[in-house]
Amino acid sequence: MNWQLQSVDEATSPQPGGSEVDDFIRRNVMMVKLEDMVSWGRKNSIWPFNFGLSCCYVEMATAFTSRHDLARFGSEVIRGTPRQADMIVIAGTVFRKMAPVVRLLYDQLLEPKWVISMGSCANSGGMYDIYSVVQGVDKFLPVDVYVSGCPPRPEALLQGLILLQEQIGRERRPLSWVINEQGIIQKEATPVQRDTRRADRIAATELRSPDDT
Amino acid sequence: MQVAEHNMDSQASSALLQQVRERFAGKILAEQSTCDGIPTVWVDRADAKALLRYLHEETTPHFEMLFDLTAIDERVRVHRDGQPASEFTVVYHLMSFSGNCDVRVKVPLQDADLQLPTVIELWPNANWYERETWDMFGIKFEGHPNLYRIVLPPTWKGHALRKEHPARATEMEPFSLSDEQEAIEQEALLFKPEEWGMKRQSDNSEFMFLNLGPNHPSVHGAFRIALQLDGEILVDAVPDIGYHHRGAEKMGERQSWHTYIPYTDRIDYLGGVMNNLPYVMAVEKMAGIEVPARAKTIRVMLAEMFRICSHLLFYGTFAQDVGQLSPIFYMFVERERIFNIIESICGARMHPGWFRIGGVAQDLPAGWDKRIKELLEFMPPRLDEYDRMVMDNGIVKRRTQGVGSYNTNEALDWGVTGAGLRATGLEWDFRKQRPYSGYENFEFDVPIAVNGDCYDRCAVRVEEMRQSLRIIKQCMENMPAGEVKSDHPLTTPPRRKEGLHDIETLINHFLSVSWGPVVPPEEVTMSIEATKGINSYYLVSDGSTTSYRTRIRTPSFAHLQMIPEISRGFMVPDLIAIIASIDFVMADVDR
Repeated sequence: MNWQLQSVDEATSPQPGGSEVDDFIRRNVMMVKLEDMVSWGRKNSIWPFNFGLSCCYVEMATAFTSRHDLARFGSEVIRGTPRQADMIVIAGTVFRKMAPVVRLLYDQLLEPKWVISMGSCANSGGMYDIYSVVQGVDKFLPVDVYVSGCPPRPEALLQGLILLQEQIGRERRPLSWVINEQGIIQKEATPVQRDTRRADRIAATELRSPDDT
Repeated sequence: MQVAEHNMDSQASSALLQQVRERFAGKILAEQSTCDGIPTVWVDRADAKALLRYLHEETTPHFEMLFDLTAIDERVRVHRDGQPASEFTVVYHLMSFSGNCDVRVKVPLQDADLQLPTVIELWPNANWYERETWDMFGIKFEGHPNLYRIVLPPTWKGHALRKEHPARATEMEPFSLSDEQEAIEQEALLFKPEEWGMKRQSDNSEFMFLNLGPNHPSVHGAFRIALQLDGEILVDAVPDIGYHHRGAEKMGERQSWHTYIPYTDRIDYLGGVMNNLPYVMAVEKMAGIEVPARAKTIRVMLAEMFRICSHLLFYGTFAQDVGQLSPIFYMFVERERIFNIIESICGARMHPGWFRIGGVAQDLPAGWDKRIKELLEFMPPRLDEYDRMVMDNGIVKRRTQGVGSYNTNEALDWGVTGAGLRATGLEWDFRKQRPYSGYENFEFDVPIAVNGDCYDRCAVRVEEMRQSLRIIKQCMENMPAGEVKSDHPLTTPPRRKEGLHDIETLINHFLSVSWGPVVPPEEVTMSIEATKGINSYYLVSDGSTTSYRTRIRTPSFAHLQMIPEISRGFMVPDLIAIIASIDFVMADVDR
């Protein structure tokens, strides 16, 4: 789906020699398939559920606030109830006592719904291989994007969100209610970042010295 | 810079022991000496309560606060020289604010008969500590009104801190959550008022039970509180914790002394490296390591920066919880600026894990003082602006003044420390009363307030940020030169300077890095004034590369227990203000 943005300085009046009608149509009418339009809207208005478990939630809150400003990605509408949200960020350690609660909240999210697993604990248990911690939220929830770090920087969460948006943009879902198989078409899987960025990372030969600020 | 650390005045402690010896002649099983100088008395469980009552009410000084109550599974401990036979030892750590001293009372128990009387009538905060000890060790407290599990799920089998309980999740059956299991767990979590002695109706009205949490925007994490409401008025409340239990104490029995440091960061996850401080100080005390002055000052400087960060987050969320949405957006900007400085020094934002046994990980980077100078310039005017925005705001005042207040005695009864205690008018700051890490060399004031309500708790913290800036300024201006790590062989990882010249140093280096340091058998408690109150580590070393028992006494645990006490009779929105004003994080409660 293509569209263009116009800067404010650009003349909005018709140019000599140009076709007034064409210009007007180009600026105001967009031809698009309905399912592309829906998927574009879906991609750019992910409403996250206000849910946090531990340290990662503080970094998630940092992503919401002024410096990082999640609103730039259309995700600033944080919902207090799962019934109004599309996405849950599992921000923090998943405890065994908390697991049934997390599952219940996930079940209450309305379809279509997505899960970002934020931080090492939610990804795999991380440094907490301990009796009270579930070794990764994917033991009982389907996860769409894993964000690594302990805790991940807010920028990392933003990147995770962008990856999720791209994935949602590629998805095609039926436009109406469907019984049984949902008929979701996943065009291609999101590439693993470790693989796609490996060449860049290996190419880095000089790292900044920690000895100055 | 002179080195003076608070050790309990030996005269005061021998005077105290003398009183105990006279009154309990023939009943004291043993007196144990620990390297922190806290007098430790062993007593049979039949006499335990009488001794505790005596210490609470009659000795000079009185012990107003039950600072901590926990247990040790002694069954596989090797070094117990001079201690009475015991399979499980219950440890009471009492604190006197009038006499500024501590005492420890230990009660030996045998596995076959794990019970002793409750001390709730002496100190009401014993309630949760006893429940925790039951949950973790299976020790019963006779006369306890609701001895239920507090930290682990109600469906849990076994007691986690007993040595036979598996530590790793990967040693246990892999976790799965079938629909049936989910239903069972949900059923077990259901709040049943009758269990807590609550009536479903009064003479003229039917009560409503409202479940707040474990996921709720204003409970700051995974915390649940069940409310009994008469209309909108709060009749009673039952806090339910344990949704954030990461087994940090059990973890201490597995990680080496050195590799445990990152876990301490995540206890009070807003306090960052400040959490490392009591832990490394405790290990240093046992190992006999003297930390260089430069390392001490760097530690103080970073700890104070984290105090500001934590208080800023509190300040913003406090305002948000009482309905002001914008302050948090301003305060996070400041927080980011401080995190940038912390990152340039430590290399990480929230959990640098940057302190080491015997010093800090690295020297300060070139140009650090310039960045600190910037911090000292931009912060004060912003704090003034926030005062106008939040503290002078009429709505904030009306929402928080006179709400959730308690006096000094109540605070001591419930084990409240930190800003919550100082807001009641008691000028008691650990940094002043028992200076550690060189705090005796700094000039700063201890802010207090008088009413002990929500507004005052906030006001104290706001002023503390200014005092922290003063301390940081003094750190910057008087940063001592010299090493950032001690020369002691147990410093981890040791300095490598001589490693290439003599084999002894090289061996030490190799062992410390591969196995971790071996700390001599000792017991020690080290406390600091953390962001939320007094945070303390009680470590038992059995002369090996790991701790035998790691006990973390956190301030938030005690503070949450007080919520029902101070919120009765208020309305639900007031409860939100009270919860906000306590300033807790769940990792600091459940560990």
